Amino acid sequence: MSAHAVALDQPGRRVVLTGNEAAARGAIEAGVSFAACYPGSPTSEVLPTLARLGARFNIYTEYSTNEKVAMEAATAASYAGLRSLTICKADGFNVALDFAAAVCLQGINAGMVIMVGDDPGSHSSVREEDSRLLARTANFPVLEPSTVQEAKDIVKAAFDLSEDLRQPVVVRCTTRICHASGDVTLGDIPMVKKEATFTRSQRFVSSVKFAPGMRDKIKRAAALAGDSPFNYYTGPENAQRLVIASGPSYTYSLEALAMLGLEDTAGVLKISTTWPLPEELIIKYLIPAREVVFAEEVDSFLEDGVMVLAAKNMDRIGQTKFYGKNSGHVAGPGGPFVGELDPDIVAGCLGKVFNTPYHPPAIPNAGEARDIIEHSLPGRELALCAGCPHRASFWAIKTAVELDGREAIVLGDIGCYTLGLYRTGYNLLQTVLCMGSGVGLACGLAKLDRFNFRQPVISVVGDSTFFHAAPQALMNARYNQADILCVILDNETTAMTGHQPHPGRGVSASGEAVGRVEIESLLGGMGIPVTVHDPYDIEGSIEVICSLLRQKGPRALVLRRSCALVAVKGKKKNRVYVDQDRCIGDSCGCARFCSGVFACPANIWDSERGRARIDEAVCNGCGVCATLCPGKAIVVERTV
Amino acid sequence: MAGQEQLKSCVIDKNLCSGCGMCVGLCPYIKTFRDRVKVIHPCGQKDGTCYSTCPKTFWDIDGMDDFVFQGPRSDQALGVYKGIFFSRAAGEKAGGAQYGGTATSLMAFALDSGMVEGAVLAGGSALDPRPVYAGTALEVMAGAGSKYTAVPTLAAFNQAVGINGGRLGLVGRPCQVEAVRKMQQGCHSEAHGNRERAVGLTIGLFCFWSLTPEFYDFLAEKTKGEVITRVDIPVEGLTVTTPAGANTWPVDQIRKYIKDSCSACIDCTSEWADISVGSTESDPQYNTLVVRTVAGQRLVERAAEKGVIEIKPYPEERLPILRKAALNKKMRVIQGEGGKMPGYLKLSDQYRAEIIRQWEVLQK
Repeated sequence: MSAHAVALDQPGRRVVLTGNEAAARGAIEAGVSFAACYPGSPTSEVLPTLARLGARFNIYTEYSTNEKVAMEAATAASYAGLRSLTICKADGFNVALDFAAAVCLQGINAGMVIMVGDDPGSHSSVREEDSRLLARTANFPVLEPSTVQEAKDIVKAAFDLSEDLRQPVVVRCTTRICHASGDVTLGDIPMVKKEATFTRSQRFVSSVKFAPGMRDKIKRAAALAGDSPFNYYTGPENAQRLVIASGPSYTYSLEALAMLGLEDTAGVLKISTTWPLPEELIIKYLIPAREVVFAEEVDSFLEDGVMVLAAKNMDRIGQTKFYGKNSGHVAGPGGPFVGELDPDIVAGCLGKVFNTPYHPPAIPNAGEARDIIEHSLPGRELALCAGCPHRASFWAIKTAVELDGREAIVLGDIGCYTLGLYRTGYNLLQTVLCMGSGVGLACGLAKLDRFNFRQPVISVVGDSTFFHAAPQALMNARYNQADILCVILDNETTAMTGHQPHPGRGVSASGEAVGRVEIESLLGGMGIPVTVHDPYDIEGSIEVICSLLRQKGPRALVLRRSCALVAVKGKKKNRVYVDQDRCIGDSCGCARFCSGVFACPANIWDSERGRARIDEAVCNGCGVCATLCPGKAIVVERTV
Repeated sequence: MAGQEQLKSCVIDKNLCSGCGMCVGLCPYIKTFRDRVKVIHPCGQKDGTCYSTCPKTFWDIDGMDDFVFQGPRSDQALGVYKGIFFSRAAGEKAGGAQYGGTATSLMAFALDSGMVEGAVLAGGSALDPRPVYAGTALEVMAGAGSKYTAVPTLAAFNQAVGINGGRLGLVGRPCQVEAVRKMQQGCHSEAHGNRERAVGLTIGLFCFWSLTPEFYDFLAEKTKGEVITRVDIPVEGLTVTTPAGANTWPVDQIRKYIKDSCSACIDCTSEWADISVGSTESDPQYNTLVVRTVAGQRLVERAAEKGVIEIKPYPEERLPILRKAALNKKMRVIQGEGGKMPGYLKLSDQYRAEIIRQWEVLQK
């Protein structure tokens, strides 16, 4: 759906929105003034939605260099009396946690919401993480929407709660909410007077003296949770079989009970205020229950919280059995603490607990379909896009490492170039942990020479990740004279999360031209020598990397070339084709280099003719394969 | 037959690679930086030109004599030759040329006279030598000067064959001449085309060993970062010239940089070249010039006629010294450590016995 639907000032109208758009609408309905984020899936689309409407609703939006800075900036707006929003993914909340753990003590002023995207099933993350645990560490109440409508309503309510408590509130959204589309009934867009004030008498300090007050806020949040309209029960009265669910697991549970035919005997208690929990509400449903099942994703957060309440109220609830992740009863194919739930998985789990075997509906031709999938469909590996400059960079680094011959260690990082772990990046990367960590790890490895470790160390970091997390590690490299080569794969955008701008791009979140932070100047200021090269010139890049590997001290190489998708967007592409008469094909001298080894998705094999071919629909016209083709059989018709 | 996998396991991994460059540029899988030649990625082919044309995989010395000279040699020290001389470039010799500048002048002349259409040689500077393709006499002149690390010149040869397919000249080390001679016998794969006729002239250099690139680190350390204008290794030792003057270090100090593959080589005078050129070890203004083939002879005669080079008789008293040096190197290899020769060398019993006999004669 478009920003247009998000902006409609027609209360009561039903529109189709994604979860991220709904969250943005919720913030608009709450009168948000300030939004800052570092993009991360699954919540990347919230900020650009607000940015497009910034002028209309008088909202300041920014892409901050990282999540900590974003949270700090949003907090400043709250201090100054403006409602503020910061958006991140679970991994980003980690980055901001230092600040979060500090700001929670005295709290804030105007309502402040932290929307965190958790990614069960790690669709667009390197791992799963449960941000509810972090929110509790930071003493921020947590709300969880179960539907797209709730994504809007809960974000809006979270602002009120935050302002009531004078404490930031976390809205935890999972991928299936963020990326789902659903019908949403729009609410009012208030006319708010937005006036920032920060007087000389105001002070905000992180101090233990505020700890009792902070505890009181959490107590009040628990009390308010008891009346929250987002917690409710569906099912028969006094059910002995109870499912307690949060997030999308609530709708999965309703569906699962219907599939099992248990909807009249078992009930579902939906909890959106997963921390702090509404104690009396939960106990009320635990009293009649004899069997309780927990349905939630990633960690056993709700389960653990309810178990504590149950222990406290053991005399009131009597004999009850609990089933969840800890008992192993609620588990997907990967185990109880791995992967997503879905209606089938939940039905399977509930069927076992409630002694009602679940028979998944028969799929017509299932056997045949499985056979086709297993035997006839080609496997699809993760792959860098056609023309991706990272592929050229990885081939150059791989070649240089082999030529150098000293078993250089190559450390990776988070971004599109994480695919350097796989065949598409020639299995080059040896570590991928979190933003910027490759550089810090490189610093450590490079100081092990006294223990007889003398292999060269290369860290590979993208441009957006560089701005996010690498400068500190590079300063460390300079200060401690670590012999590292930091290769910055600069595709001039935050490609993986959807081409958001960053400090090096010269464009703000709202599209204004701004001054660029130059990577070269930044490194130059640190005293780290920088070389800049075009990765599409693979031979030249190899030579530069080989030479740099022979040098000492911290040094940097910027391999700069626009993301292939950005470079061709809306433009005419070069036409690239194979002159099959010149193609060496399967023979010595080539052995299907372009399609089989370099393996750009546009380089394909024409099995009928036993020659290479270009898939012109996929090709982005970079022409790098033409420079590598040993038969000079790839022709580039330059139109760009 | 065999391919890349065997090239890697039998040559590269065993430090037998001399960095000639013959396997570089035939495919995208073998690459070079400075003197290093490495397999970047397995190509998966069972047989390969890289293996079949490598001078360190297999070759038959008797067969090579037959192929190049249509018959066996009588001199086991210097191989087949029609004449041996002192020579030097007449008139202005190329700026960086070592000694008499004969190799540079002859190749430039071969280009000018149309004997070859291009030439490959080790160009670049003393500290950064690299394979160079020269399309004109002037470009040949620019490449003048000895290089002491192994430059994979034949990488440029493969590239030039791919581009213009014409007859090329080579100024190269003995291993490079051997590689080209092997290739001329047609042992490359079909995909690499008709290369037998791609070589019009081979000027082989005298080479007792080349050095690994770590030698540059040694140089940098010794000269403390000063600009190096010239490197030479005469009998006195390694001589490095900087704006501050010349400094000499004993050869023993650089012995550790000698490539392993060079210690397993029996050919120090480029025995299968059309023409071989080296130092005289006695007169720095001249080169030793060995004329071996008919083509080589014709070029030298015409070059002398046209006043491109000057030649004079090789001093008779020096011949045993040169022969002894060449035979000593052969004996070190065929008797090897524990009497084991490198596996790739095929040498008939007769050849071997003759080498030993001629060496013993010289000892007396």
